[in-house]
Parts: sequence; structure tokens; C-alpha cells
Amino acid sequence: MISKKAIKSAMESMIFVWGEPLPIKIMAEVFNVDWKTAYEYMKELQEEYKQQGRGIMIIEINKSFAFATAPENAPYIAMLCNPAKEKKLSQSALEVLAIIAYKQPVTKGEIESIRGIKCTRVMDGLQNKGLIEDIGRSEAIGRPILYGTTNAFLKHFGFQSLKELPDIEDIDRIGMDEEETYDDGAEQLTLLIEQDRKGENYENK
Amino acid sequence: MNETGGDKLYKVKTNLFEGPFDLLVYLIEDAQMSIYDIKIAEITEQYIFHLQQMQERNIDVASEFLVLAATLIEIKSRMLLPRHEEFAEEDLMLDPRKALVAKLVEYKKFKGAAVFLEGREETYLNVFYKPKEDFAPYIEEDTGYIDVDISVLVKAFDLFITKKKRLEDIQKNYDFSTSVERVSVEEKVNLIKHKVSRDNQVTFGGLMKECKDKNEVVVTFIAVLNMMRTREIQVDQIINFGEITISEGEND
Repeated sequence: MISKKAIKSAMESMIFVWGEPLPIKIMAEVFNVDWKTAYEYMKELQEEYKQQGRGIMIIEINKSFAFATAPENAPYIAMLCNPAKEKKLSQSALEVLAIIAYKQPVTKGEIESIRGIKCTRVMDGLQNKGLIEDIGRSEAIGRPILYGTTNAFLKHFGFQSLKELPDIEDIDRIGMDEEETYDDGAEQLTLLIEQDRKGENYENK
Repeated sequence: MNETGGDKLYKVKTNLFEGPFDLLVYLIEDAQMSIYDIKIAEITEQYIFHLQQMQERNIDVASEFLVLAATLIEIKSRMLLPRHEEFAEEDLMLDPRKALVAKLVEYKKFKGAAVFLEGREETYLNVFYKPKEDFAPYIEEDTGYIDVDISVLVKAFDLFITKKKRLEDIQKNYDFSTSVERVSVEEKVNLIKHKVSRDNQVTFGGLMKECKDKNEVVVTFIAVLNMMRTREIQVDQIINFGEITISEGEND
């Protein structure tokens, strides 16, 4: 039996080599432990990285793990190689995504009814970006396509799973007192950074 | 509406609105009204004024904007109907604004969620991942030097050449193009026309039997439907599930 420490160390090496999010199931199979144990070890490792305030963090996307850089280091990475920044999503794309994220599985008709306007183009764009996908068909007349969000969606917004989405009824409150809503250290840090950066932006203007 | 209200509107920045609800929510918030107690007359006026401005600026105003304008006007007119004191409580239930308010509240929730997502996006656009590794350096290579006799190499080369020749021969002698002949609806229409005028009457079942594949069945069916529409043929079915007969139509 390999020691827990050895397994955790091996897992760390594995996700380093893999690059892309590595499913916990695969890691569990390698060490012949049940996935819950593997998951627990991985979460411990993630926490250790967080506690030590490393420039690398371990992110979880739907029970898969990957290394990612800490957001606060983005300016330094930019000095190194000027990474191609992904374009920000448009306001309408964000609205449609928000509706799909919370209401999935949801039809285009339902989305359009909430927004009061046609969404075909926006949804095509989101589908091309791989942020949404069709996940079946509704039993309603015409059997319209049902849409849901993808793992790429979780990655884009840094969610571990859909469970991390805040309650839609509380969302306005989150906008107002961000710091209090997040008791989580790293989250708070990123938010503070975000505010800092916003501050800079204003100065630039 | 008074003059100051008009002035205020001119200060409105001309960002594009995502939809009619977006514009309406903006106007309500701008006027610092409660979403649950919208002053319909005032908002309707502002809303329509805004649409006009959009049109003046040659912004393509989507029809959905006009639908909401119509809804607002309808609500406004219903609000003008006299209310009886004794039904005051019921009137509250039947507030003509109720349905609209419910929709706006729902929309606002998701607009809030969109703002939240935008914040998350901004943070996570600064997070970099490593792309999936190129595993080539890790995988044991099996394309190293092979220790072979020159004769083996010559044999292998000969084999390659003969194989290539044989393939060319085969390609020369046989045509591999497997184009399936597809019947067009027009062709089928002409065929049916010809048959009907020759035999006076044909059966639908008979036409179907002649079809070679599924595609032709579909084409035949469409052709028959088309000809019924143009009245080139007359289609009768005397008993339920009975044979369908096709005869010359009045328009032939």
C-alpha cells in the first residue's frame, strides 16, 4: 500500500504532466483507491497550495483538476510573453449564459421570453465557443432543443461545478457586498485584486 | 411629461440596449421608480421617445421593441379605466401592470446574474492554464534506426512499386465514382403527368411500388402533393385507408 503522502505527491506530478483538467476517476484508478479518497487527497493538495499562497493554484472543474496561474500574477506573465487574451463576452452573451446557467435545461423559446428578444445569433456564438451545448429535447410541442452549460463554461468563470453558482435571489446582494459574501480566502483575494485593477482603470481614464 | 424630464432624456448615453426589457428597466431605474409601482404614463412616453431616437439614429429597432411599446400603451389605457372603490382590493389583484412587472423582475434577476458572471470572467481571464502537453517527448520512440540488409530494403521498395502499379491499373479499369442517380421532384411530376394522361388513372400504391429507394418515395410523395396543390391532378380515396387514386385534374 502506497502511503497517502506518496499518492498526493504522485497526483501532483500527474496533473503537472497532463496540463488539461485530469479527471479524478483516472487518478483513482491509477492508485486503485475509490474516487472519494482520491478526491479528498486532491482537495487537501489544493488547500495546501492555497495556504502557502503559491503562484500556481489547483483548480477543480467538475471533478477534474488542473494547475492554473494565480490571477494576481497576470501582469507579470504579460511582461513575459504578452499572452493572447480571450475576448470578453458581450453583454447579451452574458445575459443568455446567465439564463442558461440557472435555468438549464432550457429551450431557446424560454430564454427569448425572459429577455424579450430573439437570441439565435448570440446562442450560435456561445455554442461555437463551446460554452453551451444541446443536452436533449423538450417534450413540449415541436420537441425544441434543450440547452445547458459545458465544462468550458465552468472553466471560463472559474466554477468548480454548477453548485457554486450563487442563489439567483441573492445575486443583487453579492454585487453590493462582495467581501462579506465570500468567506473563502482565495476568492476574497481575487475580488480584492479585481477591485484594485478596476481602480487602476479609472485612473487611466 | 414636463420639460426637465425631456432634458434628462437627452443626457441618456446612447448605449445599445440588449432588448426591450433592458431599455424599460433602464428607464425605470433612471426615473428612480419602484419596479412594483411603475408610472405607466410617464414610462410609456419615455419609452416611445427613446424608440424614436433610436430610429432617428438609424439604429435598427427590432420588432420586439415595438411589441413592448404596444403592451405599454395597452396597459396605460387600461389604467385609465375608472376603478370602483368597493373593488379596490380586487383591482389590486387585477393591476394591469402585474404581468409586465413579473417579467421585468425575472429579467432583472438574470441581468444581475450577467453582471456577476462578468466579474468572474474578468478575474478568470487573468488565469492561465497550460495547454495539453505534447506527449511526444514522454512517449518511447520506436522510429529509431533499423538495422537491415540492403536487399531487404530493395525488396520492400519493389513491393511498394508493384503495389502502386497494381492500384493504378485497377483505378484505370474501373470507375469508382458511385454517384447515385437521384430523381428530382420535377422529373417525377412530369412522369406522373405522363402516366395519368396515358392511363387516365393511376393508383398511389402503384407509384410507390415503382420507387427504387427511400429517396424516391419521398420525392414521389412531394410530387403528388405539389400536383394536388397546383390542381394538375385530382386525388381521391373512397374508403378510409383504401387505395388512393390519381386522375387528371381540372387544371391540366
